[in-house]
Amino acid sequence: MRVSPGTELPVFEVEVRPAAMKTMAVLLRDPNPIHFDPDVVAALGLGDRVINQGPTNMAYVVNMLMAWAGDPARIRALKVRFLDNVRGGDRVVAGGVVTSVAGDGRHQVAECDVWLDVVGGPRALAGSATVALEAGEAARETAAE
Amino acid sequence: MTLDDLERLVGVEFPVGEFTIEGYEHWLTADAIDSPPLPAGVAHPMYAYYAGLGGMGLTLDELFAMVGSSAADGPMFGEAGLEFREVMRVGETYRVEGGITGAARKTGRRAGVFDIVSFELRVVDSSGAVAAVSTNSFVFPRRAA
Repeated sequence: MRVSPGTELPVFEVEVRPAAMKTMAVLLRDPNPIHFDPDVVAALGLGDRVINQGPTNMAYVVNMLMAWAGDPARIRALKVRFLDNVRGGDRVVAGGVVTSVAGDGRHQVAECDVWLDVVGGPRALAGSATVALEAGEAARETAAE
Repeated sequence: MTLDDLERLVGVEFPVGEFTIEGYEHWLTADAIDSPPLPAGVAHPMYAYYAGLGGMGLTLDELFAMVGSSAADGPMFGEAGLEFREVMRVGETYRVEGGITGAARKTGRRAGVFDIVSFELRVVDSSGAVAAVSTNSFVFPRRAA
């Protein structure tokens, strides 16, 4: 795999669990019932399934970046715009593509476009990320190609 | 809230708060967001976000009131940005400081008048180093503006 503009990041795919939304509502002290009460979601005209917390959607993208980089310490920055809702039972795919690669002396620093798509549905978020890869690693990957 | 009032918000600092990454909460969070395995003692990078929002020195309701709004007005997440400077660790307590960094009034054809308010939260470790910076923006509908 060559780490260069156009390199696609391995996707991270997961099914969104309503039970996990309940856990996050408690952990985040988030009282918004759209994350745990489908009756409220329906009453608000937002469908019949609970709606995932936005930061959890962001976390799926972080998971994708961690799995690719191999170490959470290599993720330097992430910026996203929230575009659409993700609902309980949805299957989502986090993905990305390298847009540029630069060196900072010790690392190859990859700028990436990233996103989270609902399978069969809309793009839920989009943004950009900066990930530092060890220079030697990038060279090995290029040499092995 | 007048435009002058809105623009005067820029530079307002929040009270300082703190956040501890409790082991059991981290375990539950990592499970709920389907995290890949993490190195021992290393917190999921999303704690840059969770610690910032969870530890800032005012509640979201207080933040909304500061900008002349409330949860009932339907404020929405706009963008979220994370800058990761140091690996965050489970069990560590972080100081959270920050304030409002931007405020602008806009008019959309469908949305009408709305304000975008941005704020930055710096997550500081026990040595005084900034471990992470979380930047967020909320969109506030201003139907009566």
